[in-house]
Amino acid sequence: MTGALLVGTALIGLAAALAGAAAPVRFRIGLSTALTIGACGFGLIVGADVLRSGHPAEVHTSALMPLSGFSLALDRFGALFVVITAVVGICAMIFRVGYTGHGLSSRTASCILPLFVTTLLLIPAASNVTTFLFLWELMAVTSLFLVLTDHAHRSEVQVAGQWYAVMTQFGAAALILGLVLLATRSGSQSFAVIAVKSSHLPVWVRSTAFALALVGFGSKAGAVPLHVWLPRAHPEAPGPVSALMSAAMVNLGVYGIVRVGMGLLGGGPTWWWLLVMAVGALSAMFGSLHSATSKDLKRLLAYSTTDNVGLMLLGVGASGLFASTGHRTLALVALVAALLHVVFHAVFKGSLFLSASSVQQATGSTDLDGLGGLLNRMPVSGTVFLVGGLAIAALPPFCGFVSEWLLLQSMLHGLPSSDVTIAVAMPIGVGVLALTGGLTAFTFAKAIGIGLLGLPRTERAEQATEVRPSMWTGAGVLATLCLVFGVAPFLVLPAVVDAAGNVTRLHLTEPLNHGWQIGLPGVRGMLAPGLLALGLVICGALVCLARRLVERSPVRLAEAWGCGRELQTARMEYTATSFGEPLTRVFEDVLNPSHDIDVSHIAESRYYTEAAVIHTSLDDAFERRVYRPADRGLQRWGAIARRIPNGSVHRYLAFGLVALIIVLVVLA
Amino acid sequence: MRVRPVDVGDPERGSPAVDAAAKRLRGSLQLRHVDAGSCNGCEMEIASIFSPIYDAERFGIRLEASPRHADGLLVTGPVTHNMADPLRKTLEAVPRPRVVVAIGDCARDCGVFRGAYGVAGAVGDVVPVDLEVPGCPPDPAAIVRALRGLAGT
Repeated sequence: MTGALLVGTALIGLAAALAGAAAPVRFRIGLSTALTIGACGFGLIVGADVLRSGHPAEVHTSALMPLSGFSLALDRFGALFVVITAVVGICAMIFRVGYTGHGLSSRTASCILPLFVTTLLLIPAASNVTTFLFLWELMAVTSLFLVLTDHAHRSEVQVAGQWYAVMTQFGAAALILGLVLLATRSGSQSFAVIAVKSSHLPVWVRSTAFALALVGFGSKAGAVPLHVWLPRAHPEAPGPVSALMSAAMVNLGVYGIVRVGMGLLGGGPTWWWLLVMAVGALSAMFGSLHSATSKDLKRLLAYSTTDNVGLMLLGVGASGLFASTGHRTLALVALVAALLHVVFHAVFKGSLFLSASSVQQATGSTDLDGLGGLLNRMPVSGTVFLVGGLAIAALPPFCGFVSEWLLLQSMLHGLPSSDVTIAVAMPIGVGVLALTGGLTAFTFAKAIGIGLLGLPRTERAEQATEVRPSMWTGAGVLATLCLVFGVAPFLVLPAVVDAAGNVTRLHLTEPLNHGWQIGLPGVRGMLAPGLLALGLVICGALVCLARRLVERSPVRLAEAWGCGRELQTARMEYTATSFGEPLTRVFEDVLNPSHDIDVSHIAESRYYTEAAVIHTSLDDAFERRVYRPADRGLQRWGAIARRIPNGSVHRYLAFGLVALIIVLVVLA
Repeated sequence: MRVRPVDVGDPERGSPAVDAAAKRLRGSLQLRHVDAGSCNGCEMEIASIFSPIYDAERFGIRLEASPRHADGLLVTGPVTHNMADPLRKTLEAVPRPRVVVAIGDCARDCGVFRGAYGVAGAVGDVVPVDLEVPGCPPDPAAIVRALRGLAGT
């Protein structure tokens, strides 16, 4: 039954792609969007069913792919990711109906977008190496096309596409090597067989496979130092695509690391998970620092995705570390925290990216220094962004608070452990979590304060109006979920616990949630998000009441004090650049800011200035120190290699002869 | 050697506005100074009331940087055309109830600048004035006496 639904998901997805490619222009978007929503709906049903019942949905056929066969088996762990993708996919598709920017309504894009969504839905179900790699590659290629939809109009898109193509193919190559190594060594390419036989494999095989998988999945997840494509591709991709990439695709990187590390390889030595924690900590700090100093809204969100992936990997690493040192309960709690963060990140980052795209459509820009005053002009989209921002800053009663609290608790309660590694790693993890929490709050104080409040800084921002209902509906559903999950996390917590137990084969002695409360086994700390929300509401009401009682005279509204100036303009406002400036100064070594001031004088006298222009830029330390030199080296090598084929037939014949001799010598 | 503040004389009380303010402020008077077009003579005398000789702070009288934190305005000079609106805006920014003190002859009736092309009028022509201190410039002791009356000290 569920297997048939899985096939249905794939077929409807293909039908949507076909409709996007072949339907007449008038029906193209409507039909392909409706069918994609249908595919997501099927995915949601099958995922929810697997999560509830625990019976895997399986489909095996040898007809589709020669030799290996096409094999899908959706277990509880995969089902969690299918459900996340389905929900984000439905919201992004509803949003897409009203979205007109970036050439997303072209025939190519309408065909590829459903394919992309369908592969995202099917990847967590893939149950053998070939199927997985096939779907993974399909996802990589379709997402690359979607990033490139606007390439004809802007050259930045082409550059972003190149970065993305290189990084995603580099990751895929590592992944193919790792998974093929596992498959050949264990004699089968079925995930189930690998999971059984992997414990008998030599240590170097297991470690190499894990390291390669970490590189491959890390590049998809946007973990430092493989994150460089994220801040380039996200601002250039169409709105719904960047939401899907950030809220659904990067999750699959985390999915892969957990699936391979804990599922297929069944855990491993301590250093694997220390490595994962280190990558997570680095990503979290680097991402949050860059998002705090970015002034482009979508670039800021992209770096914040790196930050949140870092937190997920921190949780995954902590979980592996606990498991490898025998703390089984804490291992499960840490993994639950990480997966809960995956779910909540998808919800709030989806709403943030969709509402940022609404802003982009309404104002034609995502440069924070050109926005302002949008909460008045776009009340719904602005509120959605506000809610998403509060959730990502981990403020109650929104969902980010719950997952970060759980992550913090799981790491704090590892502290009494006698194990030296844990005693060193966990305080660092807690410190990283605290630092990124602060920086994220700073980032979204900036994004909301500069972008949504104050006076509009450009004419386009001044004339912005609310976007079409379908757009704010798509984003609004996700924002509502931020609040719902924040108040009632018990709606998703049991499913996440099951999913985590499914992949680690660990079980809790008592459930994490007791009615409205969340508690850790064996620990007195409790969190009751529902009561917290109720408390906030009551406090708010009390403050309002007290003010009404205490105030004798009514409040008099007066103009903002501007030293008695006649004229107050938007140019006198705080900007995103100036807001982030102190932080840029503190972290100068990492961010490497550069300033360039151009002063031009009038022709008659050098004492009079005609114009002064300041250019400021920040660059990515990894891009500067790692990627640029690597790129230069490759270019040089390519230039040398190009000299070899010079068009001479004699030379080519000589190459053939030499190659033949080498082959004969090797084979002999 | 420590400078002893001089005796500035008794506070000036008596008018209804001053007595109401004294009752309300009870020894703490925060003022925002506005130069509406003065020749700076009055500014020098105001500066000297906070010197060790007159030491107005011992009576709870202080100058504030923001009208938002002030109990009222201390206005000097005839009000020029350019300063008329800023003066109104500054007064608007002061929380109510507030007092306006006009310092010097120019603030009272434009003084020697009466009828000049740049002058919009006396302070009283632009904003309501509660207390005036005459003189060109007024004696610092006279300013302190007047402000003591407002502060109730």
